Amino acid sequence: MKTNLIKNLRRISQGIFLLLFLFLFIRTESQGADELGYPVKIFLDFDPLILISTLLSSHVIVGGFLFSLVLIAVTMILGRVFCGWICPLGTIHNMAGSLKKKRTRAIHPHWYRFKYYILLFVVVSSIFTVQLAGILDPIAFLIRSLSLSIYPLFTSTIRAFFDTVYALHIPIITDISEFIYDILKQSILSFQQPFFFQAIFIGFIFLTVLGLNLYEKRFWCKYLCPLGALLGILSRYALLKRSVSEGCTSCGVCETMCSGGAVTDRNGASRKTECLYCLDCDDMCPHNAVSFGFGSTEKAAPINLERRHIFTSVIAGITVVPLLRITPVSRKGFFDTPLIRPPGALNEREFLKRCVRCGECMKVCITNGLQPTLVEAGLEGVWTPRLVPAIGYCEFRCTLCGQVCPTGAIRKLTIKDKEEVKIGMAVIDTGRCLPHAYGMSCIVCEEVCPTPEKAIWLEERSVINRSGERTVVKQPQIDLERCIGCGTCETNCPVKGRPAIYVINTNESRSDDNRLLLSL
Amino acid sequence: MKRRDFLKVTALAGLSISTGNLFDCFTYNVFASDFVDIAVAEGPSPSGITNAAINALGGITRFISRGDTVVVKPNIAWDRRPEQAATTNPEVVSTLIGLCYEAGAGRVKVFDRTCNDARRCYKQSGIADAAAAAGADVSYIDDRKFKTVKIDGLVLKEWPLYREILEADKIINVPIAKTHGLSKLTLGMKNWMGIMGGWRGRIHQKIDESLVDVSMIIKPTLVVLDAVRILTANGPQGGRLEDVRMLNTVIAGTDQVAIDTMGAMLFGMEGRDLGYVKIGDRVGLGTMDLSRLNIKKITL
Repeated sequence: MKTNLIKNLRRISQGIFLLLFLFLFIRTESQGADELGYPVKIFLDFDPLILISTLLSSHVIVGGFLFSLVLIAVTMILGRVFCGWICPLGTIHNMAGSLKKKRTRAIHPHWYRFKYYILLFVVVSSIFTVQLAGILDPIAFLIRSLSLSIYPLFTSTIRAFFDTVYALHIPIITDISEFIYDILKQSILSFQQPFFFQAIFIGFIFLTVLGLNLYEKRFWCKYLCPLGALLGILSRYALLKRSVSEGCTSCGVCETMCSGGAVTDRNGASRKTECLYCLDCDDMCPHNAVSFGFGSTEKAAPINLERRHIFTSVIAGITVVPLLRITPVSRKGFFDTPLIRPPGALNEREFLKRCVRCGECMKVCITNGLQPTLVEAGLEGVWTPRLVPAIGYCEFRCTLCGQVCPTGAIRKLTIKDKEEVKIGMAVIDTGRCLPHAYGMSCIVCEEVCPTPEKAIWLEERSVINRSGERTVVKQPQIDLERCIGCGTCETNCPVKGRPAIYVINTNESRSDDNRLLLSL
Repeated sequence: MKRRDFLKVTALAGLSISTGNLFDCFTYNVFASDFVDIAVAEGPSPSGITNAAINALGGITRFISRGDTVVVKPNIAWDRRPEQAATTNPEVVSTLIGLCYEAGAGRVKVFDRTCNDARRCYKQSGIADAAAAAGADVSYIDDRKFKTVKIDGLVLKEWPLYREILEADKIINVPIAKTHGLSKLTLGMKNWMGIMGGWRGRIHQKIDESLVDVSMIIKPTLVVLDAVRILTANGPQGGRLEDVRMLNTVIAGTDQVAIDTMGAMLFGMEGRDLGYVKIGDRVGLGTMDLSRLNIKKITL
């Protein structure tokens, strides 16, 4: 008898984990309190790929990652159940794949190896201190894509709709739509519309990856995912095993519908490392010949990587390191001054070794000031966070980016430390500043300067205007010992475009070489 | 009041600040009448002095009628805690909200256009929680709700102002007394910046005239200046507890200029030291001549 019991159970499990993921994702947002209050990065904490790559690249074990030992243990017992039952990106792939009606057997049965080569490449490059795991790690990939592109797109669409109805002012209908809008604002919408550089680019990559499901279902999971590869290796000796009994008539149903591309022939033979443990074949087999159990003594087939490709991956993993670092950005003593890192960021080299580009810091940044880099930090630093004060400043008493960072690339600061950490310093462009250049009063930068003893102070200067009258204006000056480089002045400067006061990363606390002052 | 008397008042005010006995000087007001223009209440409980000040003015029913939609406008501009004295004392705010409901107000709304992140300002200032507990509708500023208003003032021709305050039946301004780099002090009139839309930074070019222009449009039913704590340096944002002074005082009244004049005296200044007070007096927004007013002081 065919039943869909297990399939339904799996779907419920996938749904629950996806909803949990999305719930935590949406809650990665300030509610005004100092602490976020939700373990929003927990999916990344369970990710053994991030554990291994961080361990190799920076030789630290970040506390939260001990959770990933659980996933390692589970995989060694039950196989890649994470891929089939839990992974939120896998679930989204399932959903995207359901748009493709026809099930076919794996189109490229040999490509499964490709993800192992990617894994090898990533691991080898981490040994040589380049952290690339986050680029393709499914959890980091998903959080980054949602944070920087899909979620802003979603909220923008919803807002545009309700704003239109609001502007129309239709009695009753507008009231109802505002009521619904309020509920959405308190539940799934962000507090303010986020804007990110590269939103289109990052979204394009994400949608392309989803689109691959139309070519072949779970293309990503079968051929690209490095976490899937890692779990595949761990599952090779898993205790839960698939077996095919003698009742098999070689009908080929399991081969056609296998979502991991694990079943390799009509007789039901399979590669254990590729099995997503969705258990569909157990459900679907018309003769009940397929079963999963702990008793089987069947030996698993080896992954069968090709030696020359292993060699290529290792070489690539090694050579990528100097390739990424022959830019002047990597040269000691060179500082690209607009590259302002979040408060609590480790020094640049260590920061790059740890940052997995999940984008949580950018998602949680309450002013939207944290933006993804493209090449500003070298190609090695692609999609790492930098503060763009012209968009949003670093809120004085906010420590959220450090709270959500899964690898400690941004340290979790206490509020007291946060108030003292310098991320740069402000510079006045006296040729554009109203009191300096035009003798007009302004002082906005001084007003908003958040340090308890203001880093911006006002010097009273007597100036002569065009009519020959003498007036006193207050000209802003910067106290470098007090200035922390938060950029509140730059964000609020009335001179827009190229503000008359702006922040550079000079004097940042995290760098010994970029310090300006003799004593701090 | 003659010039000499005025100087005496000022000197006494300065003295009283240093001794901590604020506004004793007003107890000898020679023009006393039955009608109290300004009430100054001092005492350990913010709620107690707020109640006492309103009572001295004739009770809340003098200002709020049954069914009114009231906007209580505190200063929530900064991400600071109450003890840092950059935002209005939450207890003063919640007491006023309670009084409005006692008088039968239909709705009491609380909002401010903040300078720092609104979520942090509302939460950290303690105002959102206190106001919500007192039954007010606490809302964040909605950018769609600004309406460009014709002002034709001294410098502002028009400016986007917040619709909810324009549409309110009654407005209670609840500022906190602080220093400010340009206007010297931020008191009642400057608190209207929190209902202004657009690029507010620009008004600093002519701040005094701009503040008077907006104050001519937004006429409060009542002003309650919170001086439970005042910020004496590094304002308006503060952050240093050394700059905070406990005065345990609120000053309530209806004349925006007079209230700010009183506020100036908390800092050892006179009304005429503040550009917007001087201009406000000149254009008839209110008076900075305290001798014309009946000022009542209450100590709890």
